[in-house]
Amino acid sequence: MSDTTVSVSKGVFVFKNGGTSQHKRVRKPQPDGEDSCNIFSNKLWYQSYNRNWKILEKKLKTLNSNMFSSILSSLVESIKHSHNTPVTEIPTATLLTGINMPDHSALFSTLSREIRKNVTPHVATLHAEDSQNLKYVIESTVNQFVNQTLEDDSDMEDCENEDNKKSKVRKSSCTFSLLQAWYEKLYGPPGLRIFFPVKRKMRDGHKLLVVIFPDFESFNDKIIQDFILIVSSYLNKLPFVLVFGVATSVSAVHKSLPYHVSSKISVQIFNSQPSTTYLNNVIENIFFTDDCPFHLGGKVFNLFTDIFLFYDLSVKGFIKNFKFAMLEHFSFGNSMALCTNSRNLKKALEQLTHEDLERIQELPSVKKFIINPSPEKKSKFADDDYFKNLMYEKFQEFYAYLNSFHLFLKCLYVLVSDLPKSPLGKQIRELYSTATSKNITKTSEFEECFKLISFQSKDELYEKISKVCKILEKEIENNKMNKNVTEEFSERLINYIERIENATTVISESPLKPQETEENLVIGKMDRRQLKEKLLEMSKKSKLMNEYEKIRLELIEYLKKTFEQYLQEPSSRSFHEIFFFNDMSIKKQIIGSHRAAIHAALNDPQYYLQCNCCKLQNEATILPSMPDVSILYKLHLEYGKLINLYDWLQSFLSIVDPDDNNEEVGKRVVKPELQARFTQAVADLEYLGFIKSSKRKTDFVVRLTWGG
Amino acid sequence: MDSLVNQLKMNFPGRTYQIERLFSLFGYKNEPFVSSVFIYGPSSTGKSAVVGSLLDGLEIRNACVNLVECYSSKVLFESILNQLSGHKIDPFKGHPYAKCDNVMDFIFNLRKCADEVDLNKSVIVLDKAERLRNMDYNLLPAFLKLKELSGLSVSVIFISEIIFEKYYFKARTLEPIKIHFSQYTREELWEILRLDFDHVQNFIRNNFNENFDINEEFFSNYLNLFLSVFYRVCRDLSELRHMSKLNFVKYCEPVFKKECKLEDSMGLWRHIAPILKASLEVLYLRISPVSQEGKQQSVEIKCDGARTVKQFTFSKESLAQFLELPFYAKYLLIAAYLASYNPPKEDKRLFMKYHGKKTKRMKDVKAKNIVSEQLNTQLGPKPFGFERLVAIFYAILEEKVDFNSNLLVQISTLVELQLLSMVSDNCDLDSRKYKCCVSFEFIQIISKTVDFNITKYLVDFN
Repeated sequence: MSDTTVSVSKGVFVFKNGGTSQHKRVRKPQPDGEDSCNIFSNKLWYQSYNRNWKILEKKLKTLNSNMFSSILSSLVESIKHSHNTPVTEIPTATLLTGINMPDHSALFSTLSREIRKNVTPHVATLHAEDSQNLKYVIESTVNQFVNQTLEDDSDMEDCENEDNKKSKVRKSSCTFSLLQAWYEKLYGPPGLRIFFPVKRKMRDGHKLLVVIFPDFESFNDKIIQDFILIVSSYLNKLPFVLVFGVATSVSAVHKSLPYHVSSKISVQIFNSQPSTTYLNNVIENIFFTDDCPFHLGGKVFNLFTDIFLFYDLSVKGFIKNFKFAMLEHFSFGNSMALCTNSRNLKKALEQLTHEDLERIQELPSVKKFIINPSPEKKSKFADDDYFKNLMYEKFQEFYAYLNSFHLFLKCLYVLVSDLPKSPLGKQIRELYSTATSKNITKTSEFEECFKLISFQSKDELYEKISKVCKILEKEIENNKMNKNVTEEFSERLINYIERIENATTVISESPLKPQETEENLVIGKMDRRQLKEKLLEMSKKSKLMNEYEKIRLELIEYLKKTFEQYLQEPSSRSFHEIFFFNDMSIKKQIIGSHRAAIHAALNDPQYYLQCNCCKLQNEATILPSMPDVSILYKLHLEYGKLINLYDWLQSFLSIVDPDDNNEEVGKRVVKPELQARFTQAVADLEYLGFIKSSKRKTDFVVRLTWGG
Repeated sequence: MDSLVNQLKMNFPGRTYQIERLFSLFGYKNEPFVSSVFIYGPSSTGKSAVVGSLLDGLEIRNACVNLVECYSSKVLFESILNQLSGHKIDPFKGHPYAKCDNVMDFIFNLRKCADEVDLNKSVIVLDKAERLRNMDYNLLPAFLKLKELSGLSVSVIFISEIIFEKYYFKARTLEPIKIHFSQYTREELWEILRLDFDHVQNFIRNNFNENFDINEEFFSNYLNLFLSVFYRVCRDLSELRHMSKLNFVKYCEPVFKKECKLEDSMGLWRHIAPILKASLEVLYLRISPVSQEGKQQSVEIKCDGARTVKQFTFSKESLAQFLELPFYAKYLLIAAYLASYNPPKEDKRLFMKYHGKKTKRMKDVKAKNIVSEQLNTQLGPKPFGFERLVAIFYAILEEKVDFNSNLLVQISTLVELQLLSMVSDNCDLDSRKYKCCVSFEFIQIISKTVDFNITKYLVDFN
């Protein structure tokens, strides 16, 4: 192969791989997915990871389809009926999707699947990136329609028409006239050509042709206009329906279509959910449940939500990050296999070796646990069985803790989410991130929340508490863990509800009356100053509470106590490292910061090269053994905006070739080899974008970056 | 033959002259056809419809091609040949009648085709002929002289929205016969819209789900009212037809609800006038309300459909609120706006804390008095470089974030959303230039959502 690529100029060489056609490759069933080909597949931690991830993935899928289902069903329904009545314009559904592009692919693939299932087998999806001109658009549309059904046919009829299978229609011959011929062959010819407004009703059995544009904005305006014009000219023969995925707003459609085009379509608008709701749904229903033993610690969770809110609004990205964190967590070692459901715990424990147990004992929280209660019993922990049993017990406790943690977090959320200014945040994810990073009941926000609750009226409080009760009821029904705790809590609350309901808001005034009249009498005799003092005193005196207020106070005290008991932060628990991942070092992998990486590479090449010769004592030192580019880079950091090339060369030489230093600087003869190295390194730096040649001063270059 | 002309005249009111002209050119079997006819007139004045029905009615072999569809002349030639020869494309193979890459091939194959089928007195119709100007330079002359070149008695009809003089081509030796389709007058429009009566009646019945009878007079009264509002702003027949249908439902509503009688035209007018005025604003936008479950509900929604649609499209506020952007993307957009509407030399003064004192000069005093048309915000966006965008972004962002690839991706996302546009060449990676495409109101709302005072950083407001 090397012979064939010898060439005078640089070039790209194409080699046809004699592989099978794409068609065949897809059909080949992969035995057992990725499991078989993964090098970690026999590792304990990987199995555990895989099991957990599979569960999550499945839940995600169902959640996705449920989430999209409401909007999709109305969309599909309208597509279905779009040609029931005679049309003069192309029925067009505009789906406002929001800007998080990566998430759209899931939406649109579900959409096309739904349409295929419920409406018509003929669906074509056009992506902007492979629609450079009208030719491609038409060809790929027609190709998708025609060839896709051919495939289906050949599937059904199997070997009957062998030759048909082979002879796919060539892409270059895919035109609309072909499409028409194909459609007529499938469904019979249409009526006579009618020039008068198309009043023909679609006959039954004639399936619609749906074209989906997932990213309308990125299409060239001209192409879409022409495409619509063509489609509209065929509308009386082919029942087309268009679906536009618009990221911004409907005005984008009108911006790119002039009047004579936009009058050819009739637009229906569908709004999809904002991506923050999507994220909240995903978080609440998938990550914040007991089924998922793996939890993100507060810091990492914050990092991920920040990336979501500040950078991309992409739920898919969030899930990817979560998956990465999970992999990172599990790859710690086999001991992480314990991060699993209570059902699998025993099995996982049995499989652990002595080394794994030792590693667990190394974990900070476990260490503390071992030393704390009985340092003298430490030797006992060396016994595997003893430790395993102990762990089993401790883990059961931890499961109970996790369960109650989620449950009470939900209850707390109901109580505080709609308070004015919402001190603890409006979303359950905000509560979660506070609760996992510190003890939420000790925060000032928590205090503030309960202060606010203590001002709430009877109706508001009543409603909230009954909502909490509903959550508890559901929990009691579905979950066996912590049953007595929840039941007790729920009973108490129900009791409170009843009391609140019956409580009067009228102050029971009877014991007060005589006193008041007495005071009134006194007031009569006082002068102004005395009166003022008196009033001040009275206001300071705690106002007498009515019955409701008393119950409220009691209830709040009770709630506070309960939350304090169950909402402790996870890091206070031993073994929390097994379930909570809180390692911020993954930030580097999650957010690619290219400039920092380049800086690190040039400033400290040893970081990447891992060689012994370039070890730096401090940041500023420059060693001759470093690569030329990095020497020049470090030197250039010391200069101002303009760099004199000659000076630069001299400093370069003094580092690379320090022996020559004793000669007079001015007369020094530069070795051509060194000069070449210097020139090359300068060119490299220019290529990397750190400098550029200056037009104002000869032999000077301009620095393009600043800061460290 | 006369019956055909009369029939056409019935179907196409106001097109009497054009139908007669065309009939005189193509209607007589024993006379040779002209080599080319050029038909022009504004859109939806019945050009293609009249030609099509006339040719079909006269049973003339014809090939009708819409040039929008023909991205290459190859497609054009092949579809003409397919239609003339009556070739049926086999959907499993997709071969055309013959392969033609250029005019010569076309004429050769046309002659070959003439041996198989009788091409004498056949017509080629080229719809949207103005597209010919952007296609191969020899197509227009070739089609003008097709009769001469092919030696066959084939005539060509060009249908275009622009006049023939705008087809600039050299050696204009042959001028086709021109027929102008003029814009319909109000009376003609009224008559055409009246033809829809049956259709509308069905539509109404479907809509109200009941036996709801209207008579023709009621409908034509409505059309009169309708045209009195719409004729001044729109003459496009298809648009008028669409709007009249939509609004007729609302017109019938009071009658259906038994609030008005069928004959009470004044009451109906009072009911419909504001609705018509409102729907003037959504002319050409073609937004139908979001699909609903029940028919009953649909009627209600359609009532204020015009209003919601207006909200959807026109109020900038709703657009900005609908649009959810990540936090940094908002700041990037603000930075882009500032870069577009501030001159670069002012950057230092606006974004740096210690920018030194500025000495007041006569020029600045004069600059204060510039009229509003010369304000930067009124003049439209100016291009700015990538570096400047990032520098301003960091200047206005209070917290310190490191510059990472997620931010870079946001810039290209903004370009994709058409909030920014790329001015420089796509392959020039070194010095990318952008322009900000959003309006001042829009950016004001965006900056309000992130608590950023944009006017403080705009030269025009300082």
